[in-house]
Amino acid sequence: MSEASTASAPRPLNLVAELTYRCPLRCPYCSNPTNLRDFPEALTSADWARVFREAAALGCVHVGLTGGEPSARRDLPEIVAAAAGAGLYTHLVTAAMPLTAAGLAVLKERGLRSVQISVQDAEAHASDEIAGTESFARKCALARETKRIALPLTLNVVLHRRNLGRVREIIVLARELGADRLELANAQYHGWALANRASLLPARAQIEDAARVVAEQTRRGAKPEILFVLPDYFRDRPKPCMGGWARTHLVVAPDGRALPCHNAAQLPLEFWNVRERSLASCWADAPGMNAFRGESWMREPCRSCPERARDFGGCRCQAFALTGVAANTDPACALSPEHARIAASHSEPARAELRYRERT
Amino acid sequence: MSAAAPSARVDPGALERRLRALLEERYHDKHPFNSRMHAGALTPDELRRWVRNRYYYQTRIPIKDGVILAKSEDREFRRSWIRRITDHDGDAQREGGLELWLKLADAVGLDRREVASLRNVLPGVRRACDAYVELVTSSDLLASVAASLTESRAGALLGLRAAAFEKHYGWIAPEGLAYFRSRTTQAPRDAAEGMAFVLAHARNAADAERCVAALTKKCEILWALLDAVEWGGAKPRLAPAAQLRENEPLVVLPERAVRLTGSGREMLAACSGTRSIEEIASLVRARHPDAENVERDCYEFLEQMQRLGVIEAPV
Repeated sequence: MSEASTASAPRPLNLVAELTYRCPLRCPYCSNPTNLRDFPEALTSADWARVFREAAALGCVHVGLTGGEPSARRDLPEIVAAAAGAGLYTHLVTAAMPLTAAGLAVLKERGLRSVQISVQDAEAHASDEIAGTESFARKCALARETKRIALPLTLNVVLHRRNLGRVREIIVLARELGADRLELANAQYHGWALANRASLLPARAQIEDAARVVAEQTRRGAKPEILFVLPDYFRDRPKPCMGGWARTHLVVAPDGRALPCHNAAQLPLEFWNVRERSLASCWADAPGMNAFRGESWMREPCRSCPERARDFGGCRCQAFALTGVAANTDPACALSPEHARIAASHSEPARAELRYRERT
Repeated sequence: MSAAAPSARVDPGALERRLRALLEERYHDKHPFNSRMHAGALTPDELRRWVRNRYYYQTRIPIKDGVILAKSEDREFRRSWIRRITDHDGDAQREGGLELWLKLADAVGLDRREVASLRNVLPGVRRACDAYVELVTSSDLLASVAASLTESRAGALLGLRAAAFEKHYGWIAPEGLAYFRSRTTQAPRDAAEGMAFVLAHARNAADAERCVAALTKKCEILWALLDAVEWGGAKPRLAPAAQLRENEPLVVLPERAVRLTGSGREMLAACSGTRSIEEIASLVRARHPDAENVERDCYEFLEQMQRLGVIEAPV
């Protein structure tokens, strides 16, 4: 933190380390860029070790090792050791392939603190169909192994039209697997998911039914803790995306670019690369990082809105993808002049086929 | 199962099944503390803590029934419902439930004046019981009667409890069990009256939803009461998933961090797994002799930390 300018930048608490965009799964709502081949995997484990040390110096306390599939990298044990060694709480987000039980034990020994495993549905056939590969049984086995070796487990399930009706079964599965937390993540329509929106976007009644099941199944203090947030497409207000632009989360993409969120590389903004500059400088001084910090960039209706401090104007990537201008109010907000674009999506004819993520 | 239109007529049979299923699932007879009580696994201290704290709930019953009385325009309803107040307060002819509960306090070796003073009621218990009075106050007559339907499980539970006490807690004099026995007949009678009222007055789907919501809330309140009683004996420790940062008031957990304010860090650092919350509070009080409400703050803060997964308290 030698640069004077870093003093004015907020403190990032969480580093999202996208180690690779390779993944054995092909989920049609993948949050990786649709042009993922344009991101070469450019950081060695030594580079990551430096990023972790610099992140800790910036004030980060937690790192999510993610991708793609982080265990697609053979040097994952060294990367985990470097993250833990830098004093970061080291959390692995995995599809449980190609990671094995033995591999997981090694990661724990190197300092891994917690694990998130994704499944795509409550049962094998439907889950494997979305994943585009046979994977459900392995995921369940690794989830059990995670608990067996006493690591905290989050189960993550992306929700959409095809599995919302099985939220109850998903909760039962999470209990059976011993998950500490269950993240019921309604699909966010960016990238691959936007391309598949007509096949994935649920009906409002499905969301309402799922919310009711979640409320019924929620017991204070009981495990798993269930996280379910009404998706922005079904609310009149946008999500407080990333807790504000370049405010608490810092993403480093596989090519070394430092970003405020995993989608931001899609925006016509200049971000800097940790291969060329210090992480502190990438965070504090890159023009892209500063493009939407604070409130001075806001246009109406955000600029004068009393809710701007809570939702930060919503999601810049969604504003860009749907209106062509990243500084516009997120169209998920009913106050946005372009809200009709969201409303129209609800009456799009449903499509049956899925466009899978390409093989990597 | 999409919700029916709010104006749709209610099938009383279906509503009754729904309410009973809700009780089957969420009534506090399944709470671990009750299970341990009935299995004979509670220590004398735990039983005393429960008796002392549950008395606060007992004192709220006639108050909430007074609130319910005041909501009704119907003389017949009031004439019948007022009996519940007498059941708890007693009259010239017989002792009421509150007096019987104090006899239980005597029998478990508590000082009945201390219990009646309510001064040692745990903050979480107080909050749960006050929430019940608030629920009844803010609901209409129908929903507040629906909230009382937990009585339809109370008769059976208290029968079981009387037997369990005789079997497992022989050190408690039998006179102490009079409250449980009195309720095994009163509760089913009251429950039948309440259920009949609800089924006769819930006219449409919106009414039914309000009844279900009120009874759900009541089940949560009873559950929270026992959580708080359990919490009163907890010796919390940092959860394995939680990492208390050195030199800064921050706890890190998988995918989230919790910022601590005030003496939060001190309280967490004192969660050794060997100290009760009372002991943790005395440590904090010793360091901050001028602070007010340290004990209450400590219970509430640590309860919140437990909810967030920061600490755990194995029973």
